[in-house]
Amino acid sequence: MSYESPIREPLVTGGKTYADVTRDILRPLENNASKSWWIGFSVSAVVLAIWIAATTWTMLEGIGAWGLNKTVGWAFDITNFVFWVGIGHAGTLISAVLLLFRQKWRMSINRSAEAMTIFAVICAASFILSHMGRPWVAYWPIPLPNAFGTLWVNFNSPLVWDVFAISTYFSVSLVFWYIGLIPDIATVRDRAEGLRKFIYNFFSMGWNGSTRTWHRYEMISLILAGISTPLVLSVHSIVSMDFATSLVPGWHTTIFPPYFVAGAIFSGFGMVLTLLVIGRVVLKQENYITMGHLDAMCRIVMLTGTMVGLAYITEFFVAAYSGVEYEQYAFINRASGPYWWSYWIMMTCNLIAPQVFWTKWARSTPWFIFLMSIIVNIGMWFERFVIIVTSLHRDFIPSSWTMYTPTITEFAILIGSFGLFFTLYFLFCKYLPTINMAEVKSIIPTHAHDEHHQEADHSTIEKGAAHG
Amino acid sequence: MMLGVYDNPDTVFSVTENLVKAGYDVHDVYTPFAVHNLDKVIGVKRTRLSIAAFCFAMTGLVSAIALQTYASYFDWQMNIGGKPSLHIPTYIPITFELSILFTAFGMVGCFFIVNRMFWGRNTDIIDLRVTDDRFVIAVNIHSKTDVKALEQTFVSGGAIEVRERAKDL
Repeated sequence: MSYESPIREPLVTGGKTYADVTRDILRPLENNASKSWWIGFSVSAVVLAIWIAATTWTMLEGIGAWGLNKTVGWAFDITNFVFWVGIGHAGTLISAVLLLFRQKWRMSINRSAEAMTIFAVICAASFILSHMGRPWVAYWPIPLPNAFGTLWVNFNSPLVWDVFAISTYFSVSLVFWYIGLIPDIATVRDRAEGLRKFIYNFFSMGWNGSTRTWHRYEMISLILAGISTPLVLSVHSIVSMDFATSLVPGWHTTIFPPYFVAGAIFSGFGMVLTLLVIGRVVLKQENYITMGHLDAMCRIVMLTGTMVGLAYITEFFVAAYSGVEYEQYAFINRASGPYWWSYWIMMTCNLIAPQVFWTKWARSTPWFIFLMSIIVNIGMWFERFVIIVTSLHRDFIPSSWTMYTPTITEFAILIGSFGLFFTLYFLFCKYLPTINMAEVKSIIPTHAHDEHHQEADHSTIEKGAAHG
Repeated sequence: MMLGVYDNPDTVFSVTENLVKAGYDVHDVYTPFAVHNLDKVIGVKRTRLSIAAFCFAMTGLVSAIALQTYASYFDWQMNIGGKPSLHIPTYIPITFELSILFTAFGMVGCFFIVNRMFWGRNTDIIDLRVTDDRFVIAVNIHSKTDVKALEQTFVSGGAIEVRERAKDL
């Protein structure tokens, strides 16, 4: 039981009852797909087809289909990889970190954010595969005995750590997501008929809603949150070590792990806002994902954006203070070299633009929040592009200095990966409850169910709050 | 067994408390979401899943260290840039990741085992509305149970429905 001050804005508005929650959230599942769903899904599927075509072309042609050269060996591929992994981080942050901090506003957004995590990591994994050039030997980074035909992997290499980090992150996120889904799948099961009932019954694993089950469920949810929190921090730290343990000026900095984690959360919340500002209107969930939720997320965007901006400035200071001329040149080249525009797009979108969220108007105007979320996504993509390409293209020997120009294939893969992401997301919206019903029911004040609630006192005492 | 169906978690909580105090054999309470402290009221012992989780974490930790030391030191040493083969600090990330991986999968596996949950299981659901908006208290009937008084307790506590259920869960 928890007490919430009556002056606090309620987390769920509209005086919803438990049955209302079930009905509202299952509406997209239990009815024929709406026109807007079909439009969105079709567009995503077409973009997905672009991704399939471009990736297939890369597999057939090899990495020569891309604009990479001897000096710039990583560009769009790893930029996209880091971008998508970063997007994923907000989902885990919302469901795990906010659970540990007992932030109940997370409850109506954690499901879709976790789905976003999983689909984003799938997109990221696709770039690991395609950047190898020979994806049929993708099992080589897995430690296999020498007798298998390869040598043991080098455990001193952060690239090997990354294989473990990303695969652990993906599988643990999937488990966490599925555990959260089980009670809701059971709800769908108990309202469905025929084939639907069979399928949802299969995946509900015989959930019965007994107190004993809930008791164990709460325990494992708490532990999963407890282990996911350091996991999510470790994943982007390890991704950053792919760069930070190298000797390339501009990469070889100790600030990378916290800087990458802050950036990941920043970009992830950008994408959550992109999805939810639209989704809450289309799925008619304004009473569950309220303006208060958008406001809270905007504040996080502003905070993490400022942290990232601080990291950008710190990098400059450290380069100046270190006295290492290569380091100093790398940063001057970033801001004023041939790729100066990408650096300033990054600075504008990530550090300057989020400062508008200091004003209440910016945090409470959905179209503006949506616009800002797109700006954040663009800015964070450019951050990775700046780090990777501007650091590489002018290396230690000026004779090997070069420029990198992406090919159409690379653009097609980048755009197509959004098709992969959104196709999966649209399927999720149609076939699974996009809001965690069991958790949202637990934060509805019980007096909403009191027939005499006019006379009853209006203290908003809440029962439960599933593992919160 | 007798079932009392309610629509409010507060009522369920107080009725269950009264039933337990009156000495009835409360089989279980079925709710659409976790009602806090109800587990304590009906005397559910603290689950040992957290201990299992710790054991799995240690298994993951030991396996990861064993794998890395065996592969890079005992089985086949490689000289890559003159770096040491047995270098504990670089083993930390993978050890950490595998500990988490083992914890998550081991603990969730145990959770499914203790709840007897598996894909495709057809469970005997006590009431279809229990996953929507109803709360059901199930009380086991023994030869000595005063059914009339039990019914009375259910109804006076605010039950919207009281019925008997033949099959034991």
